[in-house]
Order: sequence, then structure tokens, then C-alpha cells
Amino acid sequence: MTEEDSRARAVYDVTSGGNGGAGGKLMVTRGTGRRVREALGEVLEGLPVGGVLYVDTRGVELMDYSFADEALGILASRVAAGEYGDRHVVLVEEDRELLENIEASLRQRGLAMIRADEPGGAPKIVGEVSEHLLETLRAIYEAGAITNADLAERLGINHTACNNRATKLFKLGLIHRRKNTAAPGGRQYSYEGIA
Amino acid sequence: MRTQLELNVRRKGAMRGILTLGSLDPAFAAAQGVEGEMALLDLRGVEFVEPAGLCGLAALLEFLIPRSRLVGLRFSGHDVAAYLERMDFFRIFGHRIETNVDVAALEERRRGNPGTLQELISFHSEEEIPEIINRISEILTNKGYGLRERAAICATLSEICANAVEHGHSPFGAYAAVQAYQHIVSGGRERGRGEEVLVAIADGGVGIRETLSRNSEYAEHTASDNDALRHALKMGVSGTGEIGRGGGLAVVGQIAARAGGSLSLRSSSGRVTFYGDRTNSRNVPTFPGTFVRVSLPRKAADDQLPSASKN
Repeated sequence: MTEEDSRARAVYDVTSGGNGGAGGKLMVTRGTGRRVREALGEVLEGLPVGGVLYVDTRGVELMDYSFADEALGILASRVAAGEYGDRHVVLVEEDRELLENIEASLRQRGLAMIRADEPGGAPKIVGEVSEHLLETLRAIYEAGAITNADLAERLGINHTACNNRATKLFKLGLIHRRKNTAAPGGRQYSYEGIA
Repeated sequence: MRTQLELNVRRKGAMRGILTLGSLDPAFAAAQGVEGEMALLDLRGVEFVEPAGLCGLAALLEFLIPRSRLVGLRFSGHDVAAYLERMDFFRIFGHRIETNVDVAALEERRRGNPGTLQELISFHSEEEIPEIINRISEILTNKGYGLRERAAICATLSEICANAVEHGHSPFGAYAAVQAYQHIVSGGRERGRGEEVLVAIADGGVGIRETLSRNSEYAEHTASDNDALRHALKMGVSGTGEIGRGGGLAVVGQIAARAGGSLSLRSSSGRVTFYGDRTNSRNVPTFPGTFVRVSLPRKAADDQLPSASKN
């Protein structure tokens, strides 16, 4: 069993209860966004370390910028700040106009989230990630799990540069990072996708 | 003693008889001088009231009523008064003004009269907004609007409503009006063809320049009302300067521009209209608060495919 298989996952449907009865399929205002974020935060805190929360917004008919920023922009910033430890968030949403508000909020904040069309679907990115970070992210997700040395080789960059890029992705909450103490040649990090 | 407030309603041309916000300008200017006497507002040249005219009229009355002994409205005929009655205007203002029409008779006639998208909405807090949006979304669904259009209209409305009740205390809260037309009401080349949804919101708060002035970072962008309005349209510009704030208006502007419409802001003596590829500004008589108008032309079903999306 790989480590990824053992990670706890939870799916939270944003249209279901837990948001104080406001909105339903229409997600508007910061107040509604705050209630949804608090509910998401509780589920996230309840997950074991290494766990991933899939935030499913596919049932939402419409979302305004204020809601998107309050529910998802602030949540992503707290995940990136390490408030939830090694627990991560994946957005479950298809490519439609509703994403524009989430995209705008994350870009404002210089953040990004992993997005999938369905839980377990192919990972994509929403928000702001520079071109070479995106390249690094793709390489990690394609590999499933990869050491810093192998990743550096794959990208044709030195180990330090590779480590720097992966650290940024880790700090954005877009990948898992693990320290391999038993690795040949001493300690090094290995990375894997969160979705 | 009484002050007569005149309007600037066009007598001919495409905008003939339409009560727009601009047509209320002379009345807003004259209202500044009212000091306790009776104020008489002459609406006799009005044949048609668009949402911006309705919200503007509500904001004007909120400004006038505390400043005058009595506010009178003069209508010619019954059509405009009957429309205002359907818009719930007299429910909100009937007991606070005097008119030359029999409002009770209008109420009697109103029963079972459909054909309006949404009455004049009066609201005071953010908590009221989801319910307003729910209602509008339901009406739009019943009128055959698709999800994409509804999302654009409702997200626009909620964002601007939230701005109206967030920025500074407004003695009357805010007014919102939304209407869908079978023709293009706004001026310009496209006038007359296609359909259009108009959204208007007015508040009596401190205004955009004052709000942005609270953030010292914007000092060079708040020299005039128009500078402040243009700046407010940019992504990430807000009074608090908190990260993540100040994105709503920018997104609304993008939605309106993509639909081939516009976003107009009016606050104090500034007026800025954003069309996506250009922004027009001009100085206008003082508006006591902030006013937002969004025009969302409705395209034919074929144009509603994702080709119109971003990038």
C-alpha cells in the first residue's frame, strides 16, 4: 500500500447543509462564504494528518466574488500558512464561468488550488502559479511520488533549484512533502501530489 | 414658499420621456438648496421609468424628505404612477409624500398585474442579500433565462448590493431595482435591437472617494471623485486595503463588458462608465451617496456558448 492510498479523504458538498441555511445553490456574500469556510475548516481539522478535503462546488449554480474570496480564497491562504498542518484542500469543479470568481480571488492573493473535475479526477490548477512552478507541479503529479534528485534530473535543473521550487509548491499547499532519512546519500525530500 | 424641482427628461429622440438617473440631475442640484420649504418634483414629462431612474428617484426622495416640510410629486396621466405602484414605490414612499394621483385607486387596479421583473427593493444589511438573489434567480428562471445568464445577473447584483451596505452608514440603507426589457433601453448603436437587463443600486453612504481615502495608499488616486471612481474599478482596490478585498466591482465590470454592456458608477460629483475597451468620465451634480448601474444586453441563444468566455 503506498502512502497516498493511506491518506484520509473527505468530500464536502458545498450545497449541502452546514452553511447556516443560507444560499443553497446560490452562493453570494461574504457572510455566507464565512459560514461555509468555517464548516470546511472544521472538517479539515477533523482529518488525520496528511488528509485531503475535496471541496465540491459542482452543485452551486452561482457564486459571486465575495463568496469565492471569503470561502475559498481565505481557506487557501490559511492552508498555505500552515494553519491546518499537513492537511490539504482540492477543489472539485468543472471548467465553467463560476471558476472565474475563484480564479480572481486566488490570483489576488497570489495563491492557487488543485482542481479536479471529480474526486480522484485528473488534477488541474486554478489560481496563480508561475510557468516553471507549473512545470514542476506537472512533473510531480505525473510521477505520483518522486524524490528531489529524480525530480531535478527530470527537469534538468540542480538539486537546490529543484528543492526551492518544490518548497514553494509545498508552501502553497499543492503537494505533499516527506523527508526520506533512509535515502542513499543522506536525507532528501520526496514529493507527491495531493489529489 | 416652495421649491419646484425640474427634471431633464428628453422631449424627443431615442431617450424621449425616459426617467434616467441623468434626467434627475437638475433635481439633485436644486435639492441641495432646499431648507425646510415644500419641494415639488415635476414628473409630468416622464413616460417611462428605467431601474436607474427608479433608484435615483428613491435616493432623491430620501435626500429631500428630511430637508423639506413636504415633498410633492406631479404626474401627468396614470401610466407612470401605475408603474411606480407596481414597483412598490408607493408602499415605501406613499405615506411620506403628496401626489396628484389617487394611490388607493392604483392599488386596486394593480391586482394580478404581472409583467414586471422585480419591485423596488429596500434593504439594509448583507444578511438580506441571499434572499433577494434567490428571488431574482427564481424570477429569471421562470422567464426562461439560462444558468449562465442568471449567474451573470445575480452575481453582479449581489456584489453591488454588498458594496452598498458595507461602505459606510447610509441613513436609508440601499435601494435596488432590476428589470428585463424586450428591447435595448441604454443609448448607443445597439439601441432598439435585442434585449437588456438593467440593474441599478443606490445608497446614501459616504461615497467612493471618501471610502478609498481611508486607505492612505490611494492618496494620488483620490484627488477627484472621477479619479476615485476609475481607481475603484481596478482589481484589488478597496477602502481597507485587505488582501482579497476589492475584487467584486472589477469582476462585475468584466461580466458587463463581456455581455456587450456597461458598468456605471456615480458618487458625489463623479460619473464613470466602463465598457471594457474604454472608460468615460464626466463631472455631474452631486449625488448624495453611491449609485451603480449595470447594463447586461441579452444576446441570442447562439451567442451564449462558451466562446464568449474569458481569455
